[in-house]
Amino acid sequence: MPRKTKEQTEIEKEENTRKPAKKATTVSKKTTTKKATEKAASKKAPAKKKATTKSKTSATKKTSTKKTATKKSASRKKPTTKKPEAVEYYDLPYRYNQTVVKVLAQTPNTLFIYWDISDKDRKAFEEQYGENFFEKTKPVLIIRNDTLDYSFEVEINDFANSWYLHIADSKCDYKIELGRRPITKTEKINFDYIYVSSSNEIEVPNDKVLFNQNQKMVYFRDIKTGIQTQKDITNISFIRNMGKIYDIYDLGENHNTNILSNPSSGSIYQ
Amino acid sequence: MQEKKGYVSFVLHAHLPFIHHPESDDYLEESWLYEAISETYIPLLTNFQKLVDEGVKFRITMSMTPPLLSMLDNKLLQKKYIKYLKKLIELSEKEIKRTAGDERLNKLSHYYFDRYSNDLHLFKDVYKCNLIEAFKHFQDIGVLEIITCGATHGYFPILYVNEKTVKAQIAVGVQTYERYFGRKPRGIWLPECGYVPEADKYLKEFGIDYIITETHGILYANPTPVYGTAAPIVSPEGVVAFGRDLESSRQVWSSINGYPGDFNYREFYRDIGYEADYDYIKPYIAHNGVRVHTGIKYHRITGKTEFKDYYNVQWAKDSAEKQAGHFLDCRTAQIGTLAQYTENPPIILCPYDAELYGHWWYEGPYWLYVLFKKVYYDDCNFELITPSEYIDKYPNMQVASPCRSSWGANGYSEVWLNPSNDYAHRHLHVAGDRMCELAYLYPNAKGLKKKALNQCARELLLAQSSDWLFIITNGTMVDYAKKRIKDHIGRFTKLYYQIKDDNIDEEFLKDISKKDCVFPDIDYMIYK
Repeated sequence: MPRKTKEQTEIEKEENTRKPAKKATTVSKKTTTKKATEKAASKKAPAKKKATTKSKTSATKKTSTKKTATKKSASRKKPTTKKPEAVEYYDLPYRYNQTVVKVLAQTPNTLFIYWDISDKDRKAFEEQYGENFFEKTKPVLIIRNDTLDYSFEVEINDFANSWYLHIADSKCDYKIELGRRPITKTEKINFDYIYVSSSNEIEVPNDKVLFNQNQKMVYFRDIKTGIQTQKDITNISFIRNMGKIYDIYDLGENHNTNILSNPSSGSIYQ
Repeated sequence: MQEKKGYVSFVLHAHLPFIHHPESDDYLEESWLYEAISETYIPLLTNFQKLVDEGVKFRITMSMTPPLLSMLDNKLLQKKYIKYLKKLIELSEKEIKRTAGDERLNKLSHYYFDRYSNDLHLFKDVYKCNLIEAFKHFQDIGVLEIITCGATHGYFPILYVNEKTVKAQIAVGVQTYERYFGRKPRGIWLPECGYVPEADKYLKEFGIDYIITETHGILYANPTPVYGTAAPIVSPEGVVAFGRDLESSRQVWSSINGYPGDFNYREFYRDIGYEADYDYIKPYIAHNGVRVHTGIKYHRITGKTEFKDYYNVQWAKDSAEKQAGHFLDCRTAQIGTLAQYTENPPIILCPYDAELYGHWWYEGPYWLYVLFKKVYYDDCNFELITPSEYIDKYPNMQVASPCRSSWGANGYSEVWLNPSNDYAHRHLHVAGDRMCELAYLYPNAKGLKKKALNQCARELLLAQSSDWLFIITNGTMVDYAKKRIKDHIGRFTKLYYQIKDDNIDEEFLKDISKKDCVFPDIDYMIYK
């Protein structure tokens, strides 16, 4: 798609910095200091105001008027009724006050995890384990690889609400558990670990040709008739042909699909 | 004549995010559509027509995304496009006078005047402002296969944590296609080629036969496809997947030696919007005086130099013809090799962004025209085909699960999920869950509530557009992209509470329904 040039962007950036006040509160990934809740954010965003300026990213705003005159009235040259334009301003809620853990695969070896604990659940922990529960415990993420049946733990911190994690094994199912471990044990905090919540399960992508699968048979399906047949691919000519096809792709150590530079994934000729 | 041993299939992905601002003329982003119409869509249509008129048999596939179709169908945007053209014609008339003392430049000024005047004639008098119908015509006569896409180009590998949101993207994509083309699509361009196997059952539910994947979507499939990307595979759920051919992609896309970098081709970055005297050009750039591309560009790439020679239309055509010949020879050699190893004749799938042709690579549509003529007339060992035709001819294919993949940088989700844009995902996920909650709580609503629920679905879909995430990563127009996410999530959230509180603000609903007027037939019950 057509893109804006650097010069434009810079001019606009300057313009935006000159604009007074009403700046969006960007959701900061690693801060939890702002206590704005979703309702507060949505209340901050009245649908209609009689404001005459509007936060825009493009050219400066021309106060537009809504035409209320009909064609007939226009032909009689009646003055059009000016109606103040509805100005909307929204900010993203800082949080949704839900206990949630979600995991996404960024790459075959990187997970992205975000989480939150609702006020209700926080209170429940404090009621059960003391009001300093969150000071006396630290958050951890337990990464479970359900395919290879192992898990490992990463210590995180209460200033974060999302994390990128390296994982060793691609094409495996992963599930993340958010929990807490005591920093110092007290009378009430006398456990080694306490569960908070767990995530959706995902399969991370595969990142290699699966030649090592010991496949002997492959199946073919006629998609018109639905008839399925199988082929033994262990015969020499089949293996040779397949090898020759895959030789074309040059899938050695240096194979990298990123040599191509799509406009939809990075501009060309810049 | 050589025996035909295989096929080449071109798939052009035509997409722009839904940008519609009835409230103002000042959004520069709306001009993306006008530039794409003049530089890509009309040139493609013109070249298709030339091929038909000349009796050249050809086949091509295009995905036309629902937001693009909605914009092409929008009366206000059609009017604005005509206004855009008239200004360009006016500017090129002035340019003819201004460049009168320089023969080469003056020739180019005339070229632009003729070109934009012709665009206006074609758009108004020939196509009657209806480019969708123009493309549909070529589908109806059998040379073009049009396929669909996700409703708003939502990126499945991130949305699928709530599968219903993926289902809705597919459902609305299919619905929009039917609205404009009067039949069901056989194929779908997965937004950003983002494949997740969880989508297969919904693709089947809505009658989709095939998808396009990035090369490793096939090569890393399980089990390994024995013919690589030279043959499609079918997933266990029954969705056929064609993989992008690497060799032909490199020839066009490579940032080092790709065709569009030919020194005779038009230089994209030299435009009179930036170069002409400021007072002279001011009426033709942004309202706030920011210099922008006008579309009038006088230079050719020339070389890796700051000094740029004037563009020469004939030289550019010569290069396009030479490169079309090169492409033809390479595919002939490639198919000759592959055909020895495959059971069915191999297929070389060449998917590209449609906007590469004409917008980025100005001569691209002409290159396609020359190539298609060469395939028809020259001695080569392949024919052009659409994926549907290939499936119909060779329905027997290997069963394998394509690899989770995309065509973004590094092949997975980094473009749409990285520290610059990861803040957005929790909002998109929550809004998706809430939309399902609304559909569950208020099934088959009527009247105002139904209108509000349908608008909620539109706002959610618009927020999910992968373009906003891409733009944020790319670092240009970031403010606009961030604002769009905030606006749609904001409108959605406000309506969500109004519906739940049974207190819908009709004026607010009317206002946002006018701005976000995409998918008039949407039914929020797709989220149930």
